[in-house]
Amino acid sequence: MYTKRSPLKGSLLLLLLMLNLLLSRSVESLPICPSGAVNCQVSLSDLFDRAVMLSHYIHSLSSEMFNEFDERYAQGRGFITKAINSCHTSSLSTPEDKEQAQQIHHEQLLNLVLGVLRSWNEPLYHLVTEVRSMQEAPHTILLKAMEIEEQNKRLLEGMEKIVGQVHPGERENEVYSAWSGLPSLQMADEDARLFAFYNLLHCLRRDSHKIDNYLKLLKCRLIHDSNC
Amino acid sequence: MEENTKNATQVNPKGQSAPGKPKIEKCRSPEKETFTCWWKPGSDGGIPTNYTLFYRKEGESLTHECPDYKTGGPNSCYFNKKHTSIWMVYIIWVNATNQMGKSMSDPRYVDVTYIVEPDPPLNLTLEVKQPEDGKPYLWLKWSPPAMVDVRSGWLTLQYELRLKPEKAAEWETHFAGQQTQFKIFSLYLGQKYLVEVRCKPDHGSWSQWSPQSSILIPSDVKMKDTTVWIFVAVLSSIVCLIIVWTMALKGYSMITCLLPPVPGPKIKGFDTHLLEKGKSEELLSALGCQGFPPTSDCEDLLVEFLEVDDNEDQQLMPTHVKDHPSQGMKPTHLDPDSDSGRGSCDSPSLLSEKCEEPRVPPPTFPIPEVNEKPEDPGTKMTHSWDPQPQGINLEGKIPYFSAIGSKSSTWPMPQQSSNHNLRSSYHNIADICKVALGTVNAPAVSLKKEENQALNYSTTIDTVGKGATDKQNELEHFHSKADQDSTWLLPKEKMPFMSPRPMDYVEIHKVNKDGALSLLPKQKESSVHGEQAGTPDTSKEYTKVSRVMDNNILVLMQDPRAQAAMTFEESAKETPQPLPHNQAEKNLSYCTSSPGDCRLQTGGLDYLDPTCFMHSFN
Repeated sequence: MYTKRSPLKGSLLLLLLMLNLLLSRSVESLPICPSGAVNCQVSLSDLFDRAVMLSHYIHSLSSEMFNEFDERYAQGRGFITKAINSCHTSSLSTPEDKEQAQQIHHEQLLNLVLGVLRSWNEPLYHLVTEVRSMQEAPHTILLKAMEIEEQNKRLLEGMEKIVGQVHPGERENEVYSAWSGLPSLQMADEDARLFAFYNLLHCLRRDSHKIDNYLKLLKCRLIHDSNC
Repeated sequence: MEENTKNATQVNPKGQSAPGKPKIEKCRSPEKETFTCWWKPGSDGGIPTNYTLFYRKEGESLTHECPDYKTGGPNSCYFNKKHTSIWMVYIIWVNATNQMGKSMSDPRYVDVTYIVEPDPPLNLTLEVKQPEDGKPYLWLKWSPPAMVDVRSGWLTLQYELRLKPEKAAEWETHFAGQQTQFKIFSLYLGQKYLVEVRCKPDHGSWSQWSPQSSILIPSDVKMKDTTVWIFVAVLSSIVCLIIVWTMALKGYSMITCLLPPVPGPKIKGFDTHLLEKGKSEELLSALGCQGFPPTSDCEDLLVEFLEVDDNEDQQLMPTHVKDHPSQGMKPTHLDPDSDSGRGSCDSPSLLSEKCEEPRVPPPTFPIPEVNEKPEDPGTKMTHSWDPQPQGINLEGKIPYFSAIGSKSSTWPMPQQSSNHNLRSSYHNIADICKVALGTVNAPAVSLKKEENQALNYSTTIDTVGKGATDKQNELEHFHSKADQDSTWLLPKEKMPFMSPRPMDYVEIHKVNKDGALSLLPKQKESSVHGEQAGTPDTSKEYTKVSRVMDNNILVLMQDPRAQAAMTFEESAKETPQPLPHNQAEKNLSYCTSSPGDCRLQTGGLDYLDPTCFMHSFN
């Protein structure tokens, strides 16, 4: 019996291997639509799968980056006591628990996601440049920051495509929160500067988790009809 | 606070004090909708202490007290859905109060987002599925924990399971992803398996392992397979029995059919008697091992061979001749006289001129040249002896004739001396003797005769040493193979050196290119006058060393042989006495050339002039 199955198993293994190779590559290598294609219509399901994958990945990186920074620079400084209500995206009224998230309309939720993503474009850019210029620039933190910045752009593109499919035509005001934390990242005072970084990474971790959670909710709601 | 500290330090006469500082130990949310915090009380100061928990939410200034102290158990605070906000930091602390005072714990900053730890999965079911055409596999199913909302996507769970046979030490872990079922294929049949499963939210901590489920995997006993195997076993056992029975009955004839006996070798001149005796030296000599012993040994052999025990009768003692197969000579007791036993090449005074070709190694006993196969059966005997200096200690029982292919070589003819302890043996006495004999013995010479003669020769040689007559049997080395040139003697090592046989001179007639020596018996009368080089027809062979004279002259005696030389005994040899020097000189007159030139000439009566050695040694 097993001799009969072995060629089948072998081909299955090969297929899995190839799939694994494909998936393990950077997510950006997964083409949704070849550029320039007009009538390309990737299914919403695929769009959401990819978006969820990106958001999950971004949050994992953010969480690692925060933990690393916390361990390395923030021990004993009591930054957490000060990092209260200090995120620039708090002006965006996002749902704060499951019930609120389930009650909000999916379009609104999508717009919120877009708003948060747009709000982070600039801070991520500056985060990369400022981490690079840090004393004893932590290489892993820098790499993660760069990766997050890159993937954030991809996620934004994907979300815009999703919105284009879910809610075509209507283009709401592009709501996003402006970030003004750059001066604090460049402060001369070491302690203040480190706190600025800590705060930024703390907010990034939180917002990336929000986006990930919202997208998963939307995916289950829109694609799987709330039956994931 | 001041009151606190004051109270903390104050102890009333009853030993009571304010409570110690509590500590919030852990906060956990099982489904990201509610959460619970537990604290650990400090010392209660001996009196009942009241604990209260307060919290403040991020972005709010109001302080709230714990809404539920009970649901989570003692020293806990349960926050239900209403009181739980995600993506928001809670600042929580605990107050401990008693009659003597109160104390407050350190504030703890809690974000529910990051404290999610679900309950274990539920309803783990195991089932053994047996497909018709395969081995059974285990099918596991479970369901998510009760409170987790996976359907809406609020939490995404990933599962992990582990299983092991009941008595195994280690678990086998499998990651199941987001699915709630799993198949295990690699199972030990007939074993009871234990299975556990746990889950983890997409950005949280692993749950505890679920309660164990167990299942017994049935053994895979298929009647079909069993029958087949039994049939195969029975059949193979029957076949084996048949084979064994056939072999037993007709084993011999079968073997002879399959493996016909190898015909015995028919070698001319091969004496099966010697084969039966099982003396390897004789056999090998009969086979005519050319060039034996290997030249690498020659030096050793020669060295050994030339050692003469000075203390004794000043007679040349034959050295042992090693067995043919045994390449290694026994360690010889080399005489301090380094010159002892040196061959012509080693002793510059001796036969140096003839040593044109490098010999490997230079033999200690130069062997006189022996012609190539003499045409006539009469062996040309060449005298040769190796007059040993007095200091030479010949050790070994048997004189050593190394039939090296060199042109000129002499070998000492050890003389008997019962007192001498011959330890070394000679390889090529046999060679020499054989040569002597061999040349005499035409290829077709009957083995028997040769054998006898060889025996005689060997015995004589032996008796040079010890030479018990019975040792004549060890003359198997005297077998000459068809190639008469390659005959040599390989007397046994053990041949004692104590035979009181008379000695004869042996003339080495020539040495052929193979190193075979043709020995001629030396006439007693002519021993003094020696040159019988012109008598190639002499079929006498000398292989026996009757004694060693103090001049280190080997007195060889002739062995009686039909074709070969006759052995005769010198009268003088019976008493091992050193010959007078002049007589030795007389003997030395055999040297065809000057004493200093003890060359062996091909075709002539060649022998080594002992005086040559003497001169060199002296």
